Amino acid sequence: MSDALVTVTIDGIEVQVPRGTPLIEAAKQAGILVPHYCYHPSLPAPAVCRMCLVEVEKAPKLLPACVTTVTDGQVVHVNSDAALKARESVLEFLLINHPLDCPICDQAGECELQDYVFQEGRAATRYADYAKRFNPVEDFGPDVLYIPNRCILCTRCVRFMEAVAEDPVLNVSERGDRSYIGIFPDAVLDHEWAGNVVDLCPVGSLVSKDFLHKARAWDLDRTASICPGCSQGCNMTIDTRDNVVVRLRPRPNMDVNRHFMCDTGRQDYRWMNRGDRIEAPLIRAGDKLQAVDWASALDRLADTLRGADGKAVILASARASTESLGMTHRLLDGFELTAAVRVPTGHEAPLASIPNLALREERTPNVAGAELTGYTRAWDEALDQAVSAQVVVVLDEELAPDEFDRVRTAGTVVVLGTVDHPAYQAADIVLPIATMAEEHGSYVNRDGRAQVYRQAKASPGMARPAWWVAAEAAGRLAEGRAVPATAGDAIVMLGQSIPALAGLTYQSMGFTGRPVASAAASGVES
Amino acid sequence: MSTAGASASETSYQPVFTGETMAALETLFERYPTKQACMLPALWMVQEARGWISERAMAEVAEVIGVTPAYVKGVVTFYTMYHTHPVGRNVIQVCTTTPCSLCGAEAVLRTILQETGCEELGRTSTDGRFTVQEVECLGACGFATPILVNDDFIESVTPERVAGLLEGYK
Repeated sequence: MSDALVTVTIDGIEVQVPRGTPLIEAAKQAGILVPHYCYHPSLPAPAVCRMCLVEVEKAPKLLPACVTTVTDGQVVHVNSDAALKARESVLEFLLINHPLDCPICDQAGECELQDYVFQEGRAATRYADYAKRFNPVEDFGPDVLYIPNRCILCTRCVRFMEAVAEDPVLNVSERGDRSYIGIFPDAVLDHEWAGNVVDLCPVGSLVSKDFLHKARAWDLDRTASICPGCSQGCNMTIDTRDNVVVRLRPRPNMDVNRHFMCDTGRQDYRWMNRGDRIEAPLIRAGDKLQAVDWASALDRLADTLRGADGKAVILASARASTESLGMTHRLLDGFELTAAVRVPTGHEAPLASIPNLALREERTPNVAGAELTGYTRAWDEALDQAVSAQVVVVLDEELAPDEFDRVRTAGTVVVLGTVDHPAYQAADIVLPIATMAEEHGSYVNRDGRAQVYRQAKASPGMARPAWWVAAEAAGRLAEGRAVPATAGDAIVMLGQSIPALAGLTYQSMGFTGRPVASAAASGVES
Repeated sequence: MSTAGASASETSYQPVFTGETMAALETLFERYPTKQACMLPALWMVQEARGWISERAMAEVAEVIGVTPAYVKGVVTFYTMYHTHPVGRNVIQVCTTTPCSLCGAEAVLRTILQETGCEELGRTSTDGRFTVQEVECLGACGFATPILVNDDFIESVTPERVAGLLEGYK
């Protein structure tokens, strides 16, 4: 092993890295970020931006850290006078034609050009009298706008489309200071994963039309989450502004989605901001539903379930967390229980060059988690059972009107829902629950990887996480039964009775998740 | 060089690489390790046949070579000697880099623009005979001012010589 490792000294810090590691990655391990534009860990490195020039002892001139691989005993100076001078010049060149329109640029605040110029650029320009190059804004595709004046020609977008998406519709047109990112006239940047070029762009040159002028970067709160769009379970960040979700972006996870996220997942956030939510627990009083406090609602639920006898059915959404699914299942385990999730499907859209990464056919995030906690996909059978069941619990799934009509013949209909629906007037108990953006929870993706998502915004009214509702009701049913205080407690508690989830904690899942004990998952091999 | 020709619109586009031209390209392929490496000669063939390289023609080259149109466009726009707009029957390139400039290249250029009736750089004369372009160093600083008319390299051009030189190009 040791011969595969080489030792390099970077700015006085000694690190051991595998042979063949680029200097820029070795520097990261030493805790030093070498400024860079064209380099990106998930793209081929062309060394075109010259921003990552560093001084390597015994090398005749400065070397680009992104394509220089480490050698044993190398001594590197990232912040030597020569390196700083070179990078200052690179920045000066980049700014000759840059419009400096940061006040109206979406990237401001998360712009690498801003950051590095602030960090090591010149204080003032020497090109004040020079007329800047101008090119008009171009519409590249459904969600991508190209603002050539801001472009620094790092070519990350070109390389992403060429090497990763394998749909090379972008090019570098013209040359020298006239260069710009071109698209062939008939071509449209409408690849299913094209939105990633916006994230990859280190400056505000490629911007999302959807996010255009919506928020300033520093106004956003960022929350680590998991994309609920399909069973792939891409790690993402939810950006909220004043409790409103304004953007979803990929969060790096080398084992799941690398640095990418598909456009379908990226755009699927509007439901998180819906205003037509159930805001208070409702219980049946005569021929109508009455809003009550949680204690009364939970008491009513417990009363209904006490002395469990006969059939119960859970009709759940596979968008619910493992905690919620598990706790709801546990609540009804005294009954003869049928539990099913509905799995909507769509087309599959792989990202060409990344193995095992695609927008999946199964368009819910937690099918595997549901199966581990005792749910099946036999939705129609469960619906048939529900007609004659004692208790039916609808968990986070919106039933079609005809489905609900069938279900209401059951003894008691309990809805744990987010969005208000006229059909719920026929239910006996309607409890407001939080969406995945409003709670902590975890999903198990199709490869059996359990991943945590965090609460990104406050839930409306009195809505609470579904696992809390189910666990509190269960606590009322059986004296002394432990009630989890947090979602983290809930998953630990489930682990005690479900072998596959044993040992799972939020700490062990961390920010990138871990495989569940038995990766029974959905059984789909990559 | 043939006439700039009516613009090759989508419907009326006649492929360049058919029959003999295609056969010639096939022969060229053998001299290169990959088809992609043969892109520059292929583009030359288009320019020789059509006088310039339209976007539709770039798409054709892309198809023949097996790359994307975007890639071909990147290459075409990178090189200044490929014309992306129709040009006159004769293309005149005048060197105006520093040594030539010092030896009076500007005067030569002005005269050429007047004599050809082009009036402006890059514009084609109304009779479709000439297009005049400025180029960086033609590599004949000792014989300022050199000009390139189509493939003919002419050195030591002075304003007085211009009219006579242009006679030969119809």
